Amino acid sequence: MSLHTATPAGPSGSTGAPTRQPSPSAVTKADLARAGATRRRKAAQWKLVVGAICTLLVIIPIILANVLPLPDANFQDLAARRLPPLTDGHLFGTDQLGRDLLSRVLHGGQVSLTIGLLAVLVSGAIGVILGSAAGYFGGWVDTIVSRLLEAQMSLPLLMMLLLVVALFGPSIPVITFVIAIAQWPEVARLTRSMVLVEREKPYVSAARILGLHRIQILIRHIIPNVIKQATLVVLLLLAQAVLLESALSFLGAGPQRPFATWGRIISDGQDYITTSWWMVTLPGLVIVLMVVGVNLLGDGLRDRPRRKKKGA
Amino acid sequence: MTNYILKRLGQGLLTVFLTVSTVFILIRMAPGDPAVSYAGPLATSEQLAKVREQFGLDKPLLEQYWIFLQQLFSGNLGQSYSFQAPAMQVVFERLPYTLTLATSAILLTAVVAIPLGVWMSRRPDTGREFGVNVLTIAGQSMPDFWTGIMLLTGFAVLVPLFPASGFATWGGLVLPTVTIAILQIALISRMVRREMTNNLAAPYLTVARSRGVKNSVLTWRYAMGNSAIPVFTALGTRFAAMLNGVVVVEVVFAWPGVGSLIVRALETRDYPLIQATVLITALLAVGVQLLIDLAYPLLDPRVRLGKAATA
Repeated sequence: MSLHTATPAGPSGSTGAPTRQPSPSAVTKADLARAGATRRRKAAQWKLVVGAICTLLVIIPIILANVLPLPDANFQDLAARRLPPLTDGHLFGTDQLGRDLLSRVLHGGQVSLTIGLLAVLVSGAIGVILGSAAGYFGGWVDTIVSRLLEAQMSLPLLMMLLLVVALFGPSIPVITFVIAIAQWPEVARLTRSMVLVEREKPYVSAARILGLHRIQILIRHIIPNVIKQATLVVLLLLAQAVLLESALSFLGAGPQRPFATWGRIISDGQDYITTSWWMVTLPGLVIVLMVVGVNLLGDGLRDRPRRKKKGA
Repeated sequence: MTNYILKRLGQGLLTVFLTVSTVFILIRMAPGDPAVSYAGPLATSEQLAKVREQFGLDKPLLEQYWIFLQQLFSGNLGQSYSFQAPAMQVVFERLPYTLTLATSAILLTAVVAIPLGVWMSRRPDTGREFGVNVLTIAGQSMPDFWTGIMLLTGFAVLVPLFPASGFATWGGLVLPTVTIAILQIALISRMVRREMTNNLAAPYLTVARSRGVKNSVLTWRYAMGNSAIPVFTALGTRFAAMLNGVVVVEVVFAWPGVGSLIVRALETRDYPLIQATVLITALLAVGVQLLIDLAYPLLDPRVRLGKAATA
C-alpha cells in the first residue's frame, strides 16, 4: 500500500536517504537535546493526565455528594457502629457513631474544598494586587509590601493561625481568611519579581508615551502578562490550602457545621485506629489522592513546553 | 560587620516586639473570658470578679498593655493560669523537647534530601529520576498528622518497634522525626535538584570538565558549592519554622514540646502562657535567621555582610 510519497521529515521507515547531514558522531548534542525535550514533554503529559484523573476522582463525587444515594452524613445508627468497608452498602464502612464514612468524607470535602478555593482566590487577589503594585510603583509601596513579606516569614505561622481561629471561633469565613493570610506572600513575591522584569519592557514605555495612566498600564498591560504564571502558583497553593485546612481541623480548629471536615474526621477516628483502621486510613487517602492530583497538575502545567515559540 | 549585625538585630527585635503586641491585641479583641476558663463554669460572678482582679484583667486595656510592656522588658510575663507557675519557666521546660525534635528532623532531612536532590539533578529526564520526582510530589501531598498516625499504627502498635508517644527513650524520637522529615525531604530535595540543575548547566562547569576535573569533584565542589547558600537558607528557614513548634506532629505523638503547649494554652485561654510561647519562639526564629545570614560568608567567600569587608 505504501506509496513513494513519504516526506523526508516523516519518521516512517523510509528505506534510505538520510534526512540529516551526517555528523562526525552518531549522536549529536542536538539529538540529546531533542530526546530530553521529548522525555520532558512525555513526563509533563503523564503528570497532567494522572493529575487530572486523581483530582477528578475526588472532586466529582464531592460535587455529586448531594445527589448520590448516600445516607445523611450526620445520621447516627448506633446499631451499625464501626462496620468495616463494603458492608451493608457502606462503601467506606461506618464510624464510631454508625455514620456512613463515605458520606462524611464527601460532605466534609465540600466544606474543605469551598474553604480551599475561597482562600486561594482571596490570597491570589491580595498577592497579585500587592505584588504588582510593589513591583511597578517601587518606592515606599515596595518598602511596605516587602517589609510585610519579611515580617510574615519570621512569624510563627501555624501558631498565629491557631491563635486567630481559637480566639475568633472556627467558622468558615475565619478559617478562609486565616489560610488566605498564610498564603498571600508566595503569590505576592512571585508577582513582584515578574512585574519588576515586565515594567522595563518597551511596550510599557510605549504605553506611557501614549499617555496612559500608570494604573491603566499596570492593570491593562502588565498584569495580563504575568497573570498566567501567577495562576499556576495559585493552583499549587490550593493543594497547600487543603492540607492547611485539614491540619487546622485535625487540631480542633476546623468548622463543625454543617459538616466536619477531613482533618476532624481523621482525629475522630484516631482513637479507634487499632480496631477500625478504615476510619483514619480512608479519609487520609482521599486527601492524599486529591492533593497529589492537584500537585501533579500544577507541576505538569509548569513543565509543559511552550507551544508557541516567541515570534522574533 | 558589627554594624550589620546590630542593624539586623534591631530589625529582628522590632519584629518580635510587633508580633507580641499583635498577639496582645488579638487576645483582648477576641470573645471569651479567661476568668471563666480559670474558675470553671460553676463560678459565681463574685469569684469571677476576684479572678479578674487577681490577674489584672479588670484594668483598662491601655493599662494592661503598659503592665505587659513592663513585664516584657523585665523578662517575666506573669503566672500561667493553668500551670500555676511563671509562664516563661513553663515554656523553657518544654523548649528542649522541641529543640531536640527539630534538630533531629532537620539533620535527617539534610542527610537524605541533599544527596537525593543531587542524584536527581545528575540524571535529568530519566525514568528513575521521574519516579523519584513523583515520589517527592506524593511526599509533599501527605498531611503530616495522617502520616504520623499511619507510622504510629504501623511501627508502634502493629509492629511495636518504637514507643507510641512521649520522649522516655531515644526510640521515641524516631517516629516523630520521620514524620516531619518526609515532608521536608520532599520539599528540600526538589529545591536542591532545581539549584543543582542550573549550576550543572553553567558554562564554568563545562570549562572545568574540559580541563579534566573529576565528575564527583565537579558535582560536589563546583556545583554544590554554588548551590550551598540557597540550600542552607532553605534548611535554616525550615528549622526556624520548626522551632515555632511542630504543632501537629507534637500533638499526634504527645510530644511534650512547645507545639502541644500552645494548643493547650489556647484551649484554656492562658494569656500569659500564650504570650510567653509566642515571645520565646519568635525570638528563637529571629535568632536562627540572623545566624543563617551570618553563616553566608563561611559558605561563600564572595559574600560580604554589610558594606565594608572585614578580615
